[in-house]
Amino acid sequence: MDFIYILLKKIIWKYAGLREKISPGWIQKNSSRIREWELMAYAYSRSPIGVLGGLIVFVTFILAVIGPMISWEPYWEYKIIINESYRYMPPCLPPSCTGSPLLGTDEWGRDIIAMSLYGIRISFVISIVVVVLGAPLGIILGLIAGYKGGVVDEAIMRITDIFLAFPGLVLAIAFASVLPQRIRGALESNSILRAFFAGLFGLREAEYAQIAALLSIWLAMVLVWWPGYARIVRGSVLSIREMPFIEAAKLSGLSTWSILFRHVLPNVISPVLVMMTFDIATATLFAASLSFLGLGPQEPVPELGFLISKAGYYFPERSSHVVAFLGIILLVMALGWNLLGDALRDILDPRTRRAIEYRMEKEKKK
Amino acid sequence: MGLGTFIARRILTFIPTLIGVLLITYLIAYAIPTDPVRAWVGEKLMNPQTLEQIKAKYKFNAPWYEQFAFLVQQLLTGQLEDPIRHRNVFDEISNRFGVTVEVAIVGFLFLVAIGIPLGLLAAIYKDTPIDFAVRIMALVGSSLPSFVLYYFLILLLFTQFRTTYLAGIPEPSLTCRLSIASWPESIPVLGHIGAALGKVPMFAGIMCGEFDVVGETFKRLYLPGLALGLLNGGFIARIVRNSLLDALSAEFITYAKARGLRKLSVWKHALKNAMVPVVTVLGLNFGGLLSGAIIAETVFNIPGIGRYMYEAILRLNFPVIIACTFLVALVYVTINLVVDILYAIIDPRIRY
Repeated sequence: MDFIYILLKKIIWKYAGLREKISPGWIQKNSSRIREWELMAYAYSRSPIGVLGGLIVFVTFILAVIGPMISWEPYWEYKIIINESYRYMPPCLPPSCTGSPLLGTDEWGRDIIAMSLYGIRISFVISIVVVVLGAPLGIILGLIAGYKGGVVDEAIMRITDIFLAFPGLVLAIAFASVLPQRIRGALESNSILRAFFAGLFGLREAEYAQIAALLSIWLAMVLVWWPGYARIVRGSVLSIREMPFIEAAKLSGLSTWSILFRHVLPNVISPVLVMMTFDIATATLFAASLSFLGLGPQEPVPELGFLISKAGYYFPERSSHVVAFLGIILLVMALGWNLLGDALRDILDPRTRRAIEYRMEKEKKK
Repeated sequence: MGLGTFIARRILTFIPTLIGVLLITYLIAYAIPTDPVRAWVGEKLMNPQTLEQIKAKYKFNAPWYEQFAFLVQQLLTGQLEDPIRHRNVFDEISNRFGVTVEVAIVGFLFLVAIGIPLGLLAAIYKDTPIDFAVRIMALVGSSLPSFVLYYFLILLLFTQFRTTYLAGIPEPSLTCRLSIASWPESIPVLGHIGAALGKVPMFAGIMCGEFDVVGETFKRLYLPGLALGLLNGGFIARIVRNSLLDALSAEFITYAKARGLRKLSVWKHALKNAMVPVVTVLGLNFGGLLSGAIIAETVFNIPGIGRYMYEAILRLNFPVIIACTFLVALVYVTINLVVDILYAIIDPRIRY
């Protein structure tokens, strides 16, 4: 695992060099921070679970980026129109069988490996964006509630409570059944928006109605995603804001915003980062569940959950290979993030990091 | 502050939360651009007269706040009607909620039976292959798309071995149900509670002495229960393991050991202190199960509350949506309260 450590170290120093160029003296000022980062890189490279998770995430990322481009079958061409026998073809593994798709075909006779390449892009984009948009919303509200206290805190936390008590899936279902019509209108009239989202999901512009459905799942998930973050951040802020260094920052006349973002946030961010990593996995599965229930995009979009729900009608006689293969893809995608999060929890926790530092120094002495 | 005041104060904070949930549900419903009455009646039966009648009945022509007030008033007085089935929403809900309670109980039993022993094992054999296996199980369990697991469990245990069935819900005999339904008339307070519990077919079976209903229920519902246990059991095991290890490394345990206590009593001290986080997670999990596992109910064909809610949303059935979200929110806040009270019972240091 040494090469991962060396690689991460290189990245850290590249970044430090960049900062040094922008503002000379940065490396010297932040030498302790850089050492801490190096320690994290070391801890990560020693964690097999973390390395495996990182590898899976990296591979899914690459597949998500190039998937729709390298996919050898367009998802909008239904082969069964030419020949009905293409429907749910069983897997065809060499050497005993050649000439037809390796892992069989789906309902419309499309190669499921080719379809999964589109599906990975959709799932990946949705899960990342939901967490990247939902978490900051919760973090900012949690920071404000915890730091301001009083009426502001009470108001924000009451709203958070409402959203926590609200059945998440119901809100998502309600949005997914309400929003598409409205978003569709916007996409219809705005060609730049249409092209942007089509490119983002790796779909054709002609499917803007399905893109609207995807976007509504997005919005619904962002809306149910933030309360957890608000609560966790508020809790940590409550204890941080009583610390002397915050008082010192206040006395030196810093504005509330810069205290919040430069002094409070860095001290509460670790558990949030871990939670975000786990949540990307949850969001992947949540989005797939929504389309499994038929609330996401419809034909011909090859969304993984939607393909599985379609295959469910013919399960197990004709379609168990489709359910198994696409299920494994979803499992691996989520597992990658979960493994990474599990390792990050150890790495970002200062207590366990000290233990790792001790071990590292012992190893160096040898 | 005593426990009574604490509970009273907490129940007061329920009110704004519940009103907020209702208001948001209503505003989402209100924002829907289509005409709900069309979705209820269906195109065939549509004639302007019935449309107007229904609109008048649900005050659709009034401003939104009047409609909302009307819905809340009907909700609180228990008069809300399911406009598609033309039955009282609460009758429908109580029948389905009984089934959901059964699913939750069976799933919860599996969760506890899988999660707690594994967690204890992982803590005892810390940093061994057993511990690692539990860690992997927790990670895979939380990464597995639930519906895929459901399908393959069905393939294995239903299609291959026929150990269960996937239609209907076992119910006690009609005479049993009728006798329970008549309890409120004969027994003042306990009768109402008994009748409410009797809405859960399994409990009704126990109350009438028809114990085979319980067995049948387990046979029907053990598959979703097992699936829920497998999916979340690893996670529970991790919580049990971590909180037990935390407790074992506390100073009072070192003291107990130094005092020469037997291993068993040392463990007893540690277990009691490790319970608080475990109870939280288990409580929230049970609450989640009570809100209806929509996907499990869909795949296993269970007529529970989640399915009802899902169908209601698809058909824009607002009265049902409002009543169901109210119920789910109520379950959530109540479970949270119960968990808080359990804390005080488990841990004498926590006083309200």
